[in-house]
Amino acid sequence: MFNLIGSAINGVKHALGGLYQVKRGLETVAMHTWREPTTEAYPDKAPELPPHFRGRLALTVNPETGENLCISCRQCERVCPDKCIEITANKSTETNKLELIDFKIDHGLCMFCGLCTEVCPTYCIINTNDFEMADYTRSSLIYDLKKLTLTQEESAYYFAAKEMPLPKPKPAKPAAPAAGAAAAKPAAEAKPTATVSPKPAPESAKAPETTADKPAKEVEKKESPSTDTPSVN
Amino acid sequence: MKIDGTVVRGDHFSGNIAEIRKFAVMSLSWLTVIFVAVWGVCWALGIFIPMCLANSSFDFAAILSEVCKALTPIAAVLVFIPINAMFMVLMERRALALFTRRNGPNRVGPDGALQTAADAVKLLLKEDITPTGADALMFTLAPIIFFAPSIFGALPLLAAVTNNHKLFQIVDLPTGIFYVLAASSVPVVGIVMGGWASNNKYSLMGGLRSAAQAISYEIPLVLSLVTICLLAGTLDVVSIAYQQSGGLLNWNILGGGALIGLNKAIAALVSSSGAPFAEVMNAYYPYGWLSFVGAAVLCMCTVILFGVYLIGACAEINRIPFDLPEAESELVSGYNTEYSGIKFAIFFLAEFTNLFIVSTIAVVMFLGSGDCPLPTWLNPLSYPAVYEPLAKALSPVLSVLINDLHLINPPTFWAALWVIFKTYSLIFFAILVRGTLPRFRIDQLMDFGWKRLIPITLVIFVLVAFARGVINFHV
Repeated sequence: MFNLIGSAINGVKHALGGLYQVKRGLETVAMHTWREPTTEAYPDKAPELPPHFRGRLALTVNPETGENLCISCRQCERVCPDKCIEITANKSTETNKLELIDFKIDHGLCMFCGLCTEVCPTYCIINTNDFEMADYTRSSLIYDLKKLTLTQEESAYYFAAKEMPLPKPKPAKPAAPAAGAAAAKPAAEAKPTATVSPKPAPESAKAPETTADKPAKEVEKKESPSTDTPSVN
Repeated sequence: MKIDGTVVRGDHFSGNIAEIRKFAVMSLSWLTVIFVAVWGVCWALGIFIPMCLANSSFDFAAILSEVCKALTPIAAVLVFIPINAMFMVLMERRALALFTRRNGPNRVGPDGALQTAADAVKLLLKEDITPTGADALMFTLAPIIFFAPSIFGALPLLAAVTNNHKLFQIVDLPTGIFYVLAASSVPVVGIVMGGWASNNKYSLMGGLRSAAQAISYEIPLVLSLVTICLLAGTLDVVSIAYQQSGGLLNWNILGGGALIGLNKAIAALVSSSGAPFAEVMNAYYPYGWLSFVGAAVLCMCTVILFGVYLIGACAEINRIPFDLPEAESELVSGYNTEYSGIKFAIFFLAEFTNLFIVSTIAVVMFLGSGDCPLPTWLNPLSYPAVYEPLAKALSPVLSVLINDLHLINPPTFWAALWVIFKTYSLIFFAILVRGTLPRFRIDQLMDFGWKRLIPITLVIFVLVAFARGVINFHV
């Protein structure tokens, strides 16, 4: 008899304990109503990406002068595990230095490991915050120098955001800084939106570049459309 | 909030007012659309057409108007079910999104308000597939059998939730709740039929599980309602609804009428015009402390019964945490695995309509139907000094609608408003439960049903039968 009463009391205790746990669960879930959704409203609102986000690869220019920072050292080409970088450079007879002719990155092969950005001695090749690269053909994922080069404003933004040291002005060319100073406005603080348009306007960045061997470059580009042609020196 | 006091993005409370406001606006506008449409149809069919026909010299005018009136309840249900199911699906999705910190559907229409309407159109336009080896006749019949009871089964409740409006008296049965329960046990036949006819092992498993579950949980469900009928002394839902009028203390969830005496005594005390407090108390509780113990026992029992009813109803309509018949992780989608297009839409429609019906039964049987929760002696609107000036101020506007067109019937209007509020609150609670509890295992389900709920309801039934002897009910 006492056993029965005892077990009945135990049962009630169990039931109340269970109900209490259910109540706690319901409370917790109900209180979540007051919390902001964690959903990203992506196509409507650009996500807030950190500056070290490894997005589309791009080449910076000197934010002050606008000249391309690549020195054609080919370290990125060598370190790339996917072999998706292809640099075409030519040794100039006057200055005895390598001059960049074309820079191709196959974003269809790239796995965004960021190794190329780590080895780059001049902070030229960087990962941008852009990730909207969908396209219709594989061949259109191969970006050439024109498509890769950022504008001065974008370069300035990434130099500031990634806290990279600004490049020293080149001592060899006395004409370049003057031309650059005339063309470029003082480094724009105005921050471009986090998602940069996938095709940065290349005109301003290309303008101060060497124009001496432009015709040759055009010819070479047409001659070597595929990725695996050996680079010409 | 992290330990060092920094607020993680979106992790502070009351940061979600915008989403809650969207949910509220969506719900209110959908509810307005639903009930304006339903009442519009009822009024046109049951009042406006007979009014137009009354003066005509047309031979069959009288018969036609009677037919129209008789068809009103059916028309109301047929208009109500699809729109309501659309709203409930949307409400469920938005509410679950709130609970799980998501946005929910927000693309179609303003803030996603038309999402389920678009879904319905999609389902109706889809190809209707009958799998190879399926029993085509049974396969087609199953959704119909599943859906039909939700149309004819809930009819007796119409009179109870509209304060016995004269249009709906035709469906008021003297054994209303019995009829509703009988009708609500038919859908399981449809589920088993669908499961068997699909020629699919998962469907068959789902159907069999559903049958087992429905048999197990119908017993506590019915026992809890029977106990309430025992307290009420009637099976008629309209009478049960009327017995509970007059405020929270009269509702069946609080003693099933055991506190009516207390309510009346307090009312006498407040008004200080009627019989003295002690006299009223003695009339209702004749055996002194024994009566008070009886009242306390009854209160406890009915609260437990309400819980048992909710659990049993949840299991009966296969909702989480009792959704074993359609356990996705084990059975793909259970009995409706093979269904697509319009047949699937009918299954879906019926499931949500069943949720609405069990909530309505709970409101009628336990929560006072269309009764304001404030006791009459506490409700300012129940004193003539308050409501008479109000009525006088509003009468020029409303008298045309009320007296000439019969478009608004005040008692029905307020009752319906309260029923809508209570029912959708219960549905919201069901959604909260869905967002919280994990699914039962099949053996736990059977254990809980047969070894816990049924003994509890039987014990309560006996307790109530004795306890009601020491109190005077409904004198």
